Amino acid sequence: MALLELDGLTKRYGGVTAVNDVTMRVEAGEVRAVIGPNGAGKTSLFHLITGVVPATSGEVRFDGRVLSGLSSYQRCQAGLSRTFQLTSLFPEMTARENCRVAAQARLPRRWQPWGGTTVFGEASARGDEALERLGLSAVAGRPAGLLSHGDQRLLEVAMALSQRPRVLLLDEPTQGLSVEETLTAVDTLAGLFAGGGLTVLLVEHDMEVVFRLASKITVMHRGSVIADDVPSVVKDDAAVQAAYLGGYA
Amino acid sequence: MRIFVCVALLLAMAPLGLPLFAMTLLTEALILGLLAMSLDLMVGYTRLISFGHAAAYGLGAYASGYLLLHTSLPLPFAVLAASVLAGVVAIGVAWVCTLAKGVSFSMLTLAFAQLLYAVAFKWTSVTGASDGLAGIPRTAGPFGVTVFQTKNGYYYFVLVCLLGAYLFCRSLVASPFGAVLRGIRENEAKTLSLGYNTRLYKIAVVAVSFALGGLAGALYSPFAGFANTELVFWLFSGQVLIMVIVGGQGTLIGPILGAAFFMLLEHVLSQYTESWALFFGLIFIGFVMFAPQGIWGLLTRRARA
Repeated sequence: MALLELDGLTKRYGGVTAVNDVTMRVEAGEVRAVIGPNGAGKTSLFHLITGVVPATSGEVRFDGRVLSGLSSYQRCQAGLSRTFQLTSLFPEMTARENCRVAAQARLPRRWQPWGGTTVFGEASARGDEALERLGLSAVAGRPAGLLSHGDQRLLEVAMALSQRPRVLLLDEPTQGLSVEETLTAVDTLAGLFAGGGLTVLLVEHDMEVVFRLASKITVMHRGSVIADDVPSVVKDDAAVQAAYLGGYA
Repeated sequence: MRIFVCVALLLAMAPLGLPLFAMTLLTEALILGLLAMSLDLMVGYTRLISFGHAAAYGLGAYASGYLLLHTSLPLPFAVLAASVLAGVVAIGVAWVCTLAKGVSFSMLTLAFAQLLYAVAFKWTSVTGASDGLAGIPRTAGPFGVTVFQTKNGYYYFVLVCLLGAYLFCRSLVASPFGAVLRGIRENEAKTLSLGYNTRLYKIAVVAVSFALGGLAGALYSPFAGFANTELVFWLFSGQVLIMVIVGGQGTLIGPILGAAFFMLLEHVLSQYTESWALFFGLIFIGFVMFAPQGIWGLLTRRARA
């Protein structure tokens, strides 16, 4: 059984079908990229998985458990941690505090209304570990709002990572970065994924990023899946080339 | 912490040096300070702007007044019971108000406070309608403790409540729970997506805030000897909000200073002019424009520079 399973997932907004009968299996340990041109339904798919919007039909199963009806915070508690396409942080908190708050969400004492810094031990340790894995230890003490855009993108990944998720969901992790920043970010992420142990589902439209990071690729076009395979096969797929890659490959 | 002990000692010695009328003002300032501090948990720490915090105060004031008039409950227990009542009622209020966000949330808190105002006006048998509750006694405490019956004794009772509440709030905002409140303040959508049920956290903080605001009200009615509908009126809600902002939101101490400042100014200005509120309004505008960190912000910035 795959860790994350989508079955006949469909989302209609009025007469528009944003996601059309998507079936997909993400195995534990793989890095799955969902790609497609603008309007292909990638972000809508992401919203369906994370519970931001309800599906019109079909279902999402996580480790055999049907997620329908669970809200976004409950899906996170189940082990799905996400980042946002547009950077979403706590700008006045330091990078370290950002990660600590994220890690705390999955710890039993998240409600405790007393105790100050003494109860933050485990959350801080998890947060600091995530910062280090993303190469952010040097800026850990700076307010998140003052970090460079590239570091902010990575900080969001660190926050998700500090929750020790079973599936890490990344919504366009290099969105809005310059060419150099993208290279740095992709190197960092590639190093993180190479360490193994992570199951990742990422949505991305930058092809270089996808081919560097992904172990499997799902191609969407007009809401439907048109290819689902390892990168080398997807690259040569005629339908994909026609729909999307153009002269790239 | 050293400053805290110094201020606490100074306040504890106040009855030795101040005349009786000044002690009356100081007692009232501490009670209002407690109210403003309780609102700061919502406004400053969670960015839940409440236009109805007089509801907490009025609930506490009427409840403790009623208990003292109609039961033989010792004063500290009556005050405590009134505070708990305000906190419990707040759970229901917050349950509804947190369905909305931003301005809509504020409007709902205002609506609830006005609802309570109407109830206070109509429920004659309990609230005394427009007459309010009068002649509320400061009954003896348990085990024959009569210290609360004197003016200075009552001042110490208020002081202990305020210091206790301050320490409680300080611990609260520094705790894991407090960290989530900060998260909601800065980015609620992100806090939710990190796996926090933000609505429950908001309901919890409103309940705590109302319980402490209710404590302030519960201390006020035996102090003043009466409770009337003015304590629940929307104008008073606005004044408390002003105390928080002028004092410095998100600092706990600031709102206490803001309340004292408000009282002092009201006392001084009203000796010269009927329209003192106009001048206070100008001062409020000045703070919002030139010192959004409030009085406490100005003091600490001076100290750091």
